This record gives sequence, structure tokens and C-alpha cells, in this order.
Amino acid sequence: MSNAAETVIVATTALTQRFGSTVALDAIDVQLRSGVTGLVGANGAGKTTLINALMGLRAPTSGSAKVLGLDPRSQGPALRACVGFAPERDVLPDEMRAVDFVRHLAQVRGLPRSEARTRASDSLWLVGLGEERTRTLGTMSTGQRQRVKLAQAIASDPQLVLLDEPTSGLDPTQRSEMLTLIGEISNEHSVNVVLSSHLLNEVESVCDHVVALDAGRLVASGPLSSLIGDDEGVTLELVDVAEPAGSVDAVELALRAAGIALERVGTTLRLGGLERDELCDRARDAVAEAGARIRRLETRRRSLADLFETAA
Amino acid sequence: MSDSTESTESPITTADGAAQILDQRYRPYDGARHGLAGAMRAVIVSSMRFTLGLGRPARHKFLPWLAVVVALVPAIVFVGIATVLDIDLISENILPEYHEYYGYIQAALFFFCGIVVPEILVADRRNGMLPLYLSTPLRLWSYLASKAAAVTVTLAVITMGPLLFLLVAYTVEGSGPAGIGDWLTVLVRILGSGFAIAATMTAASLAISSLTDRRAFAVIGVILLLLGSSLVTSSLVETAELDSRLYAFNLFEIGAALKDRIYGIGPPLQFAGDDGAPGRRLSELATWFVLSANAAWVLAGGAVVWWRYRRIEATQ
Repeated sequence: MSNAAETVIVATTALTQRFGSTVALDAIDVQLRSGVTGLVGANGAGKTTLINALMGLRAPTSGSAKVLGLDPRSQGPALRACVGFAPERDVLPDEMRAVDFVRHLAQVRGLPRSEARTRASDSLWLVGLGEERTRTLGTMSTGQRQRVKLAQAIASDPQLVLLDEPTSGLDPTQRSEMLTLIGEISNEHSVNVVLSSHLLNEVESVCDHVVALDAGRLVASGPLSSLIGDDEGVTLELVDVAEPAGSVDAVELALRAAGIALERVGTTLRLGGLERDELCDRARDAVAEAGARIRRLETRRRSLADLFETAA
Repeated sequence: MSDSTESTESPITTADGAAQILDQRYRPYDGARHGLAGAMRAVIVSSMRFTLGLGRPARHKFLPWLAVVVALVPAIVFVGIATVLDIDLISENILPEYHEYYGYIQAALFFFCGIVVPEILVADRRNGMLPLYLSTPLRLWSYLASKAAAVTVTLAVITMGPLLFLLVAYTVEGSGPAGIGDWLTVLVRILGSGFAIAATMTAASLAISSLTDRRAFAVIGVILLLLGSSLVTSSLVETAELDSRLYAFNLFEIGAALKDRIYGIGPPLQFAGDDGAPGRRLSELATWFVLSANAAWVLAGGAVVWWRYRRIEATQ
């Protein structure tokens, strides 16, 4: 997913946003690199507030930000000319044709009329709505309307696209298609994307980098590969059978005797402390020796959910 | 995307056949960008089209074009009469002079401001386009200025259009102003008074429209303002015999008074008492007062819109 040469497109320093006594962003220090970045957190974590601050729509209480080398506070209009944005809210005027809507916003973002018309059509083709481009927005499904929002965000050929909950309201199939599309737009057309989501698996499936927020605080930030991975040990689940009696206990004792760190919950043993292959070999041997039966033996994977659990 | 790829009729192949361009649609753009001026121009044009119902279903075209027709029909009739009778109907006081035509467009103006204009601001807030606009080079002031410009220009179609038509038609027919100097003077007066009335009405209509997200409430509010300001001030000045400066709160009459000052004449409105003595007149008001009252409407309307949108922006 990563582009060959990653450059910093967004950098914030102690970015803080307060609304009265509520701290929406608490001294956020992040660097977002080219590619697809997931802004992840629960509702109210500060994702939309961060996006607004990055676009210069709201002056932060303190701290600073640079987006595409521009200061959102003092160079907001110039910055927003290079940035596409699709808000979470349903923003489509029902009576407008899709192509007219996309063309109009491309013009507002500075494109000449003839170019805007061409690119509106091209963008709608890109998001899979080429045949539907002359339909009025009010007649489109939720999935199509989300695609139109994406099309208007990319129509002006922005360097950066900010997508606020782009899969909101979509069913699992549509969500998967939308995420694939976002990945393609970034990879094939070199458009940097920051997408916010409260669905962790979405972010894991498409993003190169992650910024995790919780109640305005930065939980984690960095390449996805460094935040999640397959090196969290092995989970061994055994079948609790009468014969041989105490087989689960025997496996546990054997593994502990071999010096393997483990936690036991019922018939499930969470093994760690060694390389994955070594753990699997030891587990197999202990199970064979005790005559136990395996229900599940799998590599335990660290997920974004674990990041939030750790932070909590 | 498969759609894009499939839609390409014939791929472009390099001479050695090593590479193919399979999709020629979405591509980088390195051309000129028009910045804030282009953004404002796009919003103005789009808003004017929206107001006039262009590019929208037929039901949205009916009311605005009805207002335009209502404003234009008397002018067309007058020109027809002038052409058929072949006499200088203005000099003979058979047809109205240019400044008197304002009485014929008041109904259209009322109709347009009351029913059509509110939608121009309300729709963007209701369907969420406002935050999308603010994610572009537009800022709040430039967005609102674009909307105000769109309404003013569209209203000017009503306040200037029929009079310009009359000027040209009378000139062609032979009843127009004598000499290029007079002709230009009339032209400037038409444009000046048309713009002044449109600006005042725009500010008042947009101010009311900014206060609610419901189009129906905005329509009622604008109609109440237009009718109420007229009825209340007229009653207070005529019946209660209060100070004639209260006309400053009469949106229609204070606009008409300014128009009359631009034409250099007294207003047609005169109230006679029961005893036949001259009543209170708009012409009693000093020109600076009339001008200030109109400016105050524009500034107050603009201030209300700005205050309201600053609050909306802060909560989004």
C-alpha cells in the first residue's frame, strides 16, 4: 500500500482545541505521511475536530499545524484549493444531477468551467458512477451518494483528500467496495488520503498509517505495520474431554515446565515469549504427549483494538 | 476501476509496444486555478441559476419566472400602446414615466423577495452544502458576499429589466429621451435606483432567511417584514400623525423615496387629510435621511446575516 517515497503531508505540534471546559484535542503531535492514513477513534474522539483544524476551518486554541507545507490558520484558502473534502453529513442537494454537483464544486475549488465539466465526468467514472452521472442525487442509493461525495472530493485533482467517515451508512459489501476504491485512488492516482473512521477493521484493511485518538488524546500514531502485527504469540485452545482426564492441565504443566510464558482462560492457553514457530512446535509436542485434542491453534495478532485497550 | 477501463475504446500503445495507456479518464491537472475570484463567480452563477429555477425541475421555475413576467408585462403593454397609437405618450401623460414604473414592479418585487429569495440561503444550511462550501477557498464572508451578489443581480432583473426595456423601446419608437445626454442620464438613474432598491430588499430578505432553516418560516418572515413594515409605519404616520421619519422603517416606501431622489423628483405618494389639506409626505424627509435609512437597512441586514452565520459556523 505504501508509496515508494513517503513525504510528510501533515505535521502538528501540540495542537490543542478546547470548547469551554471540554478538551477536544489535547496537545496532538502527529506526522502524517503520503498514502492512506486512518484517523481512528470512537465517536467524539476528536477526529472531525482534527480535520477541521487541518483545513483551517477552526483556529486551534494552541499549537500549530502544517498541511502540504501551508499553515491552515494563515493560508487556509490557498490550502483548501489543494485539498478535497467529503464530510460525514449527507450534503447532496436532491434535485441536482450528480455531474452538475461535482462540476460545481470543482469550479468552486478553482477549476475553469470546461475543465471542471470534463473532470466531473471523469471522477464519476472513476468511482463507478459513469453511467449514473446524469441522475439526480435524490434518486441515488446511500452507496452511490457516498461515491458522489468521493467524486467531488477528487474532481479538482487535490494533493490531499480528507474523508470524514466515508463508509457511514453503507452495508458490509458497499463498505468493502468503498475502501477498495479509496485504496485505488491513492495508489493509482497518487492522491494522499486521510480517512476518519470509528471502525478499526476498516482502517486496518486500507490504511498505510494510523492516528488513533481517544477523547482528544493521541493513543498511537505511525505506520500500520508497526502498530499491529503477527508477533503477539500463539493461542492454543484445547477440547476438554473426559479421556484422558486432565489433559488440559497436563499441557499447561508441560508448557510451563518448558519455560513458556502462558495465560490460561478455561481451556484456552495464550502462549508467548518465544518465536511463533517455536511456540507452535512446543504446543504440538505438549499436546501429543498429554494425548489432548486441539480445537484451535492460531497466531495471535495485535490489532488496533489492542491499542485502545492498552491506552484504556 | 473496471468501469473506466472497460469504457476506454482503444488503448494507446507506445512504439515498441512496451506500455499501454488503458484508461484515459481521470488524470492529473496542472492548469490554471482561479482561486477565490473563481470560487465566488461559481457560487454567484450557480445561485442565480438556482434562484431562477434553471437546471431544476419545472415546479421551481414557475414562481421566479412568474415574478419576472409580472414585472415585464406592463412594460410590454406600454410599448405596444406607444407603437400602435404613434404619439408621444409620455409627454401626453398617457403612459407612466420611468420613475413611475416602480409602482408596477412592487408586486413582483414583493413576490420574488418573499417567496423565491429565502431558498437561496436556507437550502445550503438545510442540505449541508454550507460546510462543503467552507471546505473550499471560500471563507464565510466570501460565501455570503457571493450569495448577496447573486440575489442582488437577480433582483435587478426585476428592478432594472423592465425599465431598460422601456428605455430602449421608447427610444426606438421615438418617445425616448431627447439627446444622448438625457438618454444617458435616464440610463444612470435606472441603473442606480434599480441597484439601490435591489440592495435594500436583498439585505432585508437575506437577514430574515438567515434566522431559520425552514423555508416556510423564512417566507412568512420576509412577507411579514415587507407587509408589516409598510402597514405599521403608514398607520403610525397617517393615522396617529407621528413623525414622518418613521417611514425609515417602511421598506417599500423608503426604497421608493430613494428612487425618487435619484430621479430628482418628489415621490408620488401624498396623503391628504379629510379637510383636503396636504398630509404628511415622504418628500418632507431630507435626502441624507432617505439615503441613510436605506444604507441602514443594508448594513443592519448584513449585520444580522453575519452574526447568524458566525454562530452557525461555530457550531459546525
